[in-house]
Amino acid sequence: MKTNRMSARAAAIAVEGLTKRFGEVAAVEDLSFTVRPGAVTGFLGPNGAGKTTALKAIVGLSRPTAGRALINGTPVEALAPDSRMLGVYIEACGAHPGRSARDHLRSLAALAGLPRRRVEEMLALVGLEHAARRRVGTYSMGMRQRLGLASALLGDPVILVLDEPLNGLDPQGIRWLRTLLRERAASGKTVLLSSHVLMEVAQAVDDVVVIHHGRLRHQGSIEDLERLGDVGVFASTPTRERLAMAAVRAGGRVELQDGGVRLLIEGIDAAQIGELAHAERIVLHELAPRSGSLEDVFFDLTDDKVAA
Amino acid sequence: MTALMRGELIKAATTRTWLAYTALGVVLAAATVIIGSLTTDVVRVSDKQGVISGWPVVLLLFGLVGAAGEYRHRTAAPAALVAGRDRGVLLLARMGAYALAGLAVATLMTAVSLALGLPLLSGEPGPGLGVGDVVAVAGGSLVAAALSATMGVAVGALLRNQVAGVVGALILAFVVTPLLTTISETAQEYTPIGAAVVLAGALDGEALSWFAAALLLAAWTVALVVVAIVAERRRDLA
Repeated sequence: MKTNRMSARAAAIAVEGLTKRFGEVAAVEDLSFTVRPGAVTGFLGPNGAGKTTALKAIVGLSRPTAGRALINGTPVEALAPDSRMLGVYIEACGAHPGRSARDHLRSLAALAGLPRRRVEEMLALVGLEHAARRRVGTYSMGMRQRLGLASALLGDPVILVLDEPLNGLDPQGIRWLRTLLRERAASGKTVLLSSHVLMEVAQAVDDVVVIHHGRLRHQGSIEDLERLGDVGVFASTPTRERLAMAAVRAGGRVELQDGGVRLLIEGIDAAQIGELAHAERIVLHELAPRSGSLEDVFFDLTDDKVAA
Repeated sequence: MTALMRGELIKAATTRTWLAYTALGVVLAAATVIIGSLTTDVVRVSDKQGVISGWPVVLLLFGLVGAAGEYRHRTAAPAALVAGRDRGVLLLARMGAYALAGLAVATLMTAVSLALGLPLLSGEPGPGLGVGDVVAVAGGSLVAAALSATMGVAVGALLRNQVAGVVGALILAFVVTPLLTTISETAQEYTPIGAAVVLAGALDGEALSWFAAALLLAAWTVALVVVAIVAERRRDLA
């Protein structure tokens, strides 16, 4: 398990030993990670991994069985709810199907003590101004997602927490949301968004937190995750046996690939192999890291055999 | 607190639930007057007060359905996340909003009862209704309505289930409370619904005066409000 944590005090969100049990079932167990400010962090895991349960505890909607979540260094249960500090859209947040989108946002703005103009601004931002008078029960899933985003963004919060925000959005909507989230991070704000599809959010996130069966499997930058996919180096040379022996002496493992045309060398990286070849005066025709896809890395991290 | 009540009032006023309960309340108020004055002997002052009495159960259901709906439709969570105060205060604001909305609905119901009932009752035998008798029923109906709506929100927040709440309240109102008379003639007057019905003039209180019924109903309401707020603070919202 790879972790890359910052101090809880410096983190926008710090999760410390969070456990949430429902009877005998532990939906989240001893989960710890941090979310840094000025970045978009993807909170990833397959369906049923415990993402939504963890998010509910992180934003203070549910009480953890053990552990705690800190928002800007303060335990969430000690914070007065503030739409300017924390904007949330998770599964638990809905809108009455018989109420219009405008009225839904109007009631939230009144509760939050925000000016009425924020309602119209958010309706325009998420592209619902023409449907604002329609009852939410008549909305498509994508429109409901947009309304949820509008309610989370109502107070222009410093920290935004979104649960599967891309579900139901069309490709234009996904691109629009990615841009919006990147802009927020660029202005120093914090975004934590969950998804069960890594590829969907890979272009939008700086950092990733991967959980499986309620436990942390990986935390780090998206580049770290990509590097995890670099498993082995392909090498082509007219003197395969010499290179193979040199690689083994240097601690590598060697396999013949592509009918013996190429060597796959694991355990030492491309730079070391290059230096080795130079020292041994071996001619190289190809030296290329073998990259697994991000999707493969995600599957490996959330593989039951690995996770067990 | 004012902002929270305003937000909760916007919620209460922007679905069709209030319209349904207003229509139900007005129909029941009119039916009580018409059926009461045309089909029964209305001789005593208390009989006549019964004809123009209120229906606090309607407001209890109004508050209950509204509050339990907050959990069914998952609107409680987004409200709690932006409210700026803890969930207990937010629930108190919701109770205040429904008390006000219930008062508005009850005012219309009472107006219908008086507009239809007073002309019809003026032709009935026996002593007529004095101004004090009418004010007692109308005022009692309004107080009972506001307190019943508040109780409804408390029960709805505790149960978080509209169907269970409505079925339970109806069984309590129309089965359990009347059955208590088999134990004691006046036992039902001490229940929350019994006290509300005495206060609204629908039941001639033998054990409880109007004032005592108001105090008892207020006590029941405060107890339920406290339990609901303590539970709301402790329970997960999602």
